[in-house]
Amino acid sequence: MGNFREMMKGVLEGCVLEIISHGETYGYEITQKLRELGFHDVVEGTVYTITMRLEKNNLVNIEKKPSTMGPPRKFYTLNPAGEEHLKIFWDKWDFVSSKLDKLKNK
Amino acid sequence: MNFLERITGSDMNREMKSFELRVKNLPADYQAAWKKINQNIWVHGDFSGRNLMPILESVLELLEVTAADGQPIEEVLGDDIQGFTSAITGHSGAKTYRDRWRYQLNRNVAKKLGGLK
Amino acid sequence: MNIKKMIEEKKNWRAHVSRVKALPQDYQVVYKEMQKYFFKVGPVELHKGTGLLTDIVSFFEEGAAEGKNVLEVTGTDVAAFCDALIEDSKTYAELYQDSIRQK
Repeated sequence: MGNFREMMKGVLEGCVLEIISHGETYGYEITQKLRELGFHDVVEGTVYTITMRLEKNNLVNIEKKPSTMGPPRKFYTLNPAGEEHLKIFWDKWDFVSSKLDKLKNK
Repeated sequence: MNFLERITGSDMNREMKSFELRVKNLPADYQAAWKKINQNIWVHGDFSGRNLMPILESVLELLEVTAADGQPIEEVLGDDIQGFTSAITGHSGAKTYRDRWRYQLNRNVAKKLGGLK
Repeated sequence: MNIKKMIEEKKNWRAHVSRVKALPQDYQVVYKEMQKYFFKVGPVELHKGTGLLTDIVSFFEEGAAEGKNVLEVTGTDVAAFCDALIEDSKTYAELYQDSIRQK
């Protein structure tokens, strides 16, 4: 299962980048979207570790905004490096999944 | 830090002194543990010692927050201080210790959250 | 470290502690256990930038404001959550080992 978890990590990072690319969003909203998509095991903490990584690798812009209830929230948008990263993710994904499809349908 | 301090390490002495001041505020058994850790940690009394300072600072922070919570010292460090010291400096057994800390973390969380309900 | 910086740090730390105390009980419990774990493991992230711990408190404040309990936001394996937070961070122990080997 260890390898499977590693694989999911990359996939989820791609998903988070994609969600952010749709427009400014914050951690709890990203989590919500992933869950609605069917990633039921994803918790806020999962997304938090990913956005933190994106932040550290300078792939996102961050703006802190006050929220109606509770503390200010960090809002994320992709910067050019993030967009590039997302493009690479999809290219790699397309490559891998086309090969896997081929293998499976042989 | 100026050149002379870098050579003589007097900035390190100063940092150690500021640590000792903080240690004085800890309970006696915590102070004893700190002393023991220091006895075990300074095996290389040279330049690499500088890299021990952040490790010692983290230990001090650990002792401060746990003392503030009134936790028994054995619960914080375990009963093998030598092993603990070797783990925080990355010597042999560090991996086993990390696994143990991981296990303790989850066990404590489960236990303490259970106690809340 | 000069006096001014020490006072500044002390002030920041106090502010940090009072934010922790304002969290719901279950968040406090988990925060404290995580903090202990990080002080033992010693990731360099602990003393860098706004700081690993401050960021965690902000994250927990958001979770509490959403009305969730703490394990809902961290997942039940809190240790795995901690490790994920510091996975690409070196530890002070590693830096120390590097410095011994360099000789």
